Amino acid sequence: MDKAVGNAPLNERIAIVINYMLLVVLCLVILMPLVNILALSLNDGKDASLGGIAFWPRVFSVSNYIEVFKNPAVLQGMEVTLFRTIIGTFLSVLLTSMAAFALKNKNLPGVGIASIFIVFTMLFNGGIIPYFMVLKMFNLNNTIWVYIIPTLYSAWNLILVRTFFQSIDQSMEESAKIDGAHDFQVLFRIYIPLSMPVLSVICLFNGVMHWNDWFSGAFYVTDEKLRPLQTILQQMLTAAEAMRKNLSMNAMMSAGNSVTTESMKMAMVMISVVPIATVYPFIQKYFVQGIMVGSVKG
Amino acid sequence: MQAELDSVPKKSTKSKKASSAGLWKTIVVNRYLYLMLLPCLIFFVIFSYLPMAGLVMAFKEFRFNAGMFGGPWVGLRYFKLFFSYPDATQLILNTFIVGFLKIIVYFPFPILLALMLNEVRSKRFKSITQTISYLPYFLSWVVVAAFTNKILAPDDGIFNQFMAALGGDGSIFYMMDGHYFYLIMFLTYLWKNIGWGSIIYLASMAGIDPTLYEAAEMDGASKWRKIWHITLPSIRPTIAILFILDIGSLLTTGYEQNYLLRTAGNSDYSDILDTYVLRVGMMQGQYGYGAAVGLLQGLVGLILVVVTNYLVKRFSKNEASLW
Repeated sequence: MDKAVGNAPLNERIAIVINYMLLVVLCLVILMPLVNILALSLNDGKDASLGGIAFWPRVFSVSNYIEVFKNPAVLQGMEVTLFRTIIGTFLSVLLTSMAAFALKNKNLPGVGIASIFIVFTMLFNGGIIPYFMVLKMFNLNNTIWVYIIPTLYSAWNLILVRTFFQSIDQSMEESAKIDGAHDFQVLFRIYIPLSMPVLSVICLFNGVMHWNDWFSGAFYVTDEKLRPLQTILQQMLTAAEAMRKNLSMNAMMSAGNSVTTESMKMAMVMISVVPIATVYPFIQKYFVQGIMVGSVKG
Repeated sequence: MQAELDSVPKKSTKSKKASSAGLWKTIVVNRYLYLMLLPCLIFFVIFSYLPMAGLVMAFKEFRFNAGMFGGPWVGLRYFKLFFSYPDATQLILNTFIVGFLKIIVYFPFPILLALMLNEVRSKRFKSITQTISYLPYFLSWVVVAAFTNKILAPDDGIFNQFMAALGGDGSIFYMMDGHYFYLIMFLTYLWKNIGWGSIIYLASMAGIDPTLYEAAEMDGASKWRKIWHITLPSIRPTIAILFILDIGSLLTTGYEQNYLLRTAGNSDYSDILDTYVLRVGMMQGQYGYGAAVGLLQGLVGLILVVVTNYLVKRFSKNEASLW
């Protein structure tokens, strides 16, 4: 494989082979559940309930997906999820870059205290109940903004971006300022274009957080029209024990329809996985660069 | 909010470098920077510090019309109530077990994976392995719980079918049997987080000076000795910092995972303080009581971080510390 292997002692060569084998096993263990669920979601529902489907559908069918997309509640949930993911991520990345741009100036009066003020929130918080009371106090619960406003900033992302900004050569900023640029211009023309690795990473973090958040939809919102996709999925999941019999009976009784609640659920799970699984590999190359600079001892 | 608006100039007057006129000038010159920072500070006042102040709820009787800060004082009533609750011991024990599994037992696994990946010479193999192993981190717990329920389902779940094919019992309802809960919880947690957790160690290993390895090779050091004497000591500060940060969440690790994997059959094992606060506080509306239990969790977390940081600082001779 390479020259280090060629002249290494036997026990090291064995260790290298075992290392590769273990990593292959890890990858298989990680992929197997995904493939199993994918196969189930693409299999005829009634047939799947007989069991025996591992990694390939037995009776291929896309009717589970069609059924999911016909469901008005699910469509509504997708709308909510898309809205919060796009708007929430955009606003969060914009505001985080702005705040981090101010925080990078260690000598600016007040910035040191502001940083401590922000970092302390990583160590202690009021817990869920007082947090919920605050949401109520500002009338955020039961509005779409409960997903967006309370997630605009996170201490972790601020530190990540601030540290990345600090690693950028100051001389460009100084010469731009001599030419009369003000801070907003410096941020948008110099810092943001140079910080794409870290901004892609926090974009992904934010996007994934919005896409995956079921909790706010389950606890801060009672209006069914405001439930995001993940909350709908979660409620299907928890209610499953009680509903399983009724619903799958209903589904099976409707003539010619072989979609069961279970098979529909598998299709919904896949729908919520696929966008992430397709977007994230493109950003992955930035992970090490973006996280390394910002992480340890920010 | 007003207090925070004032605090920037007020607190900065403490810096003895600038006279107050000079300070005012600095602020005016940098007004756009302060403008960029302001919404962020307001955000943390509202969504982090206001809830902290709201912890007075833990000592007050909650009245819907009086809000968070109204209502008469009840002293330590909720705390006494919690400790006299017969299941409290079990809840606390479960919380510690879950925290111990997720923080202490889990801790070496990502380091191990990073060491393994670091030894891989084929770039292509390494990048494929990384892409696959990071993926589960980006799936929600709802999705992971759906996977778990489906794969471990009795009879038609793939795991039971596999066991049946091997001649074992293929009808075990793993999710309803509490004895399997901690194993399931730990394995799903590992599955979801191991890849992502290894990134930071890998990045830290990438920063090790290659001449150290070259020198060791000259001296005839084996691979094992290089890992033991160069790689591990070099990433020790990273390990220490991550450990300190993690330990603070010992008692608040799992509302998502435990809430979603909890079933009627395993609740004796899966019910922890987080899920209890959700149940009695958010779902049953006992807000003061829920806030009191939450306060206990938060305080223990803070104490753990401070103590661990102190110990690490002491034993590492200031090599690693949060502050």
